[in-house]
Amino acid sequence: MSAVTSTSRPWRPRPRLLAIFIYTWQSCFPPKRWAAVLMPCAGALLFGLLARVIQSSPDRAFAQVAAEGIFGLVIPIAALVIGDSVLGAEIRAGSFHFTWLSPAPTWQIVFGRWVGGSTVALATIAPSAALAAVVAGSPSSAWPAFAAAAVGSLAYVAVFIAIGCLTRRTAVWSLAFVFLFERLLGAALTGIAQLSPTWESRGIFVGLLDDPPSRLTREGIPEGGAAAVRLLIITAVLLLIANWRMRHIRLSGAAD
Amino acid sequence: MTDVQSDPALAVAATVEVNAVSVWFGPKVALSELTCSFGPGVSGLLGPNGAGKTTLMRAIAGLTGVNEGSVLIKGRDPRRDRSVHCSMALVPEDEAVPGGLSARQLVHYMSDLRRVTDRGAPERALQTVDLLDAADRQVSTFSKGMRQRAKIAAALVSDPDVLVLDEPLNGADPVQRLHLIALFKQLGADGRTVIVSSHVLSEVERLAERVIVLVHGRLAAAGGHRAIRDAMDETPRHVLVRCDDSRRLAGLLVGLDSVTGVRFESKRDELIVQTLQARELAIALPQLAKSSSIRLIEVRPLDDSLESLFRELVR
Repeated sequence: MSAVTSTSRPWRPRPRLLAIFIYTWQSCFPPKRWAAVLMPCAGALLFGLLARVIQSSPDRAFAQVAAEGIFGLVIPIAALVIGDSVLGAEIRAGSFHFTWLSPAPTWQIVFGRWVGGSTVALATIAPSAALAAVVAGSPSSAWPAFAAAAVGSLAYVAVFIAIGCLTRRTAVWSLAFVFLFERLLGAALTGIAQLSPTWESRGIFVGLLDDPPSRLTREGIPEGGAAAVRLLIITAVLLLIANWRMRHIRLSGAAD
Repeated sequence: MTDVQSDPALAVAATVEVNAVSVWFGPKVALSELTCSFGPGVSGLLGPNGAGKTTLMRAIAGLTGVNEGSVLIKGRDPRRDRSVHCSMALVPEDEAVPGGLSARQLVHYMSDLRRVTDRGAPERALQTVDLLDAADRQVSTFSKGMRQRAKIAAALVSDPDVLVLDEPLNGADPVQRLHLIALFKQLGADGRTVIVSSHVLSEVERLAERVIVLVHGRLAAAGGHRAIRDAMDETPRHVLVRCDDSRRLAGLLVGLDSVTGVRFESKRDELIVQTLQARELAIALPQLAKSSSIRLIEVRPLDDSLESLFRELVR
């Protein structure tokens, strides 16, 4: 067709990975999704305030509140919203085919979406965890909270992207992963906890604290840098699973 | 092996080949051992709701995997070889569009994914579908027709050789319909393979040189719509005849071998003639009228449209 065929002025289009990353920020986070991400982040600050009323030193009080409230609740919920936004929601809405029906390799789609989601997590979840430490009156815990929340969120976004590739009911399965697999089974079985972003990010946090409460250390769960390395390996494996599944995904329309 | 020349379901110089494809969703069979192919030009895909048109288009694009058989685009499997998508684009029927993007951003995104090296291509694609004025509005705020046009622009930006359009005229106003029909015909005339499904049969008649008819996931008919109609020899055809002496003509017509029935229409000067041999009737009728000094005012086949063909095939 004459209107579309070129009388070309050759130029270099944006790299696909960059295009997918920009698209993720532009399209996957409408205002409601941002609100859903920011609400649990605000919850982190409330947990910071809650630490102030605990009869203990600010560092220990924050460590106890963060272990349960921030790493056990805020990070998984906020990351679930992000992970679902960057893939599952679009598959359900029926608009993912715009990306899938392109020559872009599936690993670029998966990785681009993960980078997009991870940057949102790094811009929201990790600072709110650090800010919560400051609010709790424990500024020395801000860096450990930031680092642990950052690595934990990266892993969680990968978990939820993989779930988005595996099932259409992303939110339900993601909640089941957090509350049944991690909270219920992970609390009882160390082997499960070793694969859990909640427990591993808690391990990073505890390992980076100067004087962590002894009840927060758990046998079999690495701490500090070792936990971070383990989470990054888990993240890589999850992205590989997502990529494998993405190749075989069977997309249906929004109405199906 | 099936002879391409003799099987109207197979196109000469096929770019899209559908070989014995079956697709099912649980107990529901959407396509059953379907074999057909599409070549350069505009091909229409017709069928009632649930016939399997959308499933076939999704299978061609690679969105839906096939349970049996194979789909090949220029000899490559669209599910396995992602480079196929450089030269193929699908415009789905769904209204779903990415949120938060303007039409221009959507078209630029598609152009980046497809590595379009012509800087002017996105603007030309928007211009082609007459969306330049609204290009900076969010696609999610568009009407149904405008969304369709935005999706068509996104598909056209990479200048694909194979274009699969599922109900592309849905929601378009009459002026836009004419514009899009002309556009698709031009794309077909330029040597691209354009596959269009529509439930508005009159549009397909105007659009497509070749028609594939699906019923219940199976191939019901293929070819030009007149050729399909002609192939249905055993199906009675109806011809409206208006003349100045319908009673006398009716008496004469019942004596012809080619006529199987005659009935009067509500208007007194109109006859509906039923025949199994339309060509013979076409020769005999004027001769009979002339020899009897009856003036024929109008002779018109009543069921030469795809609407009637549909009814016959689905029955």
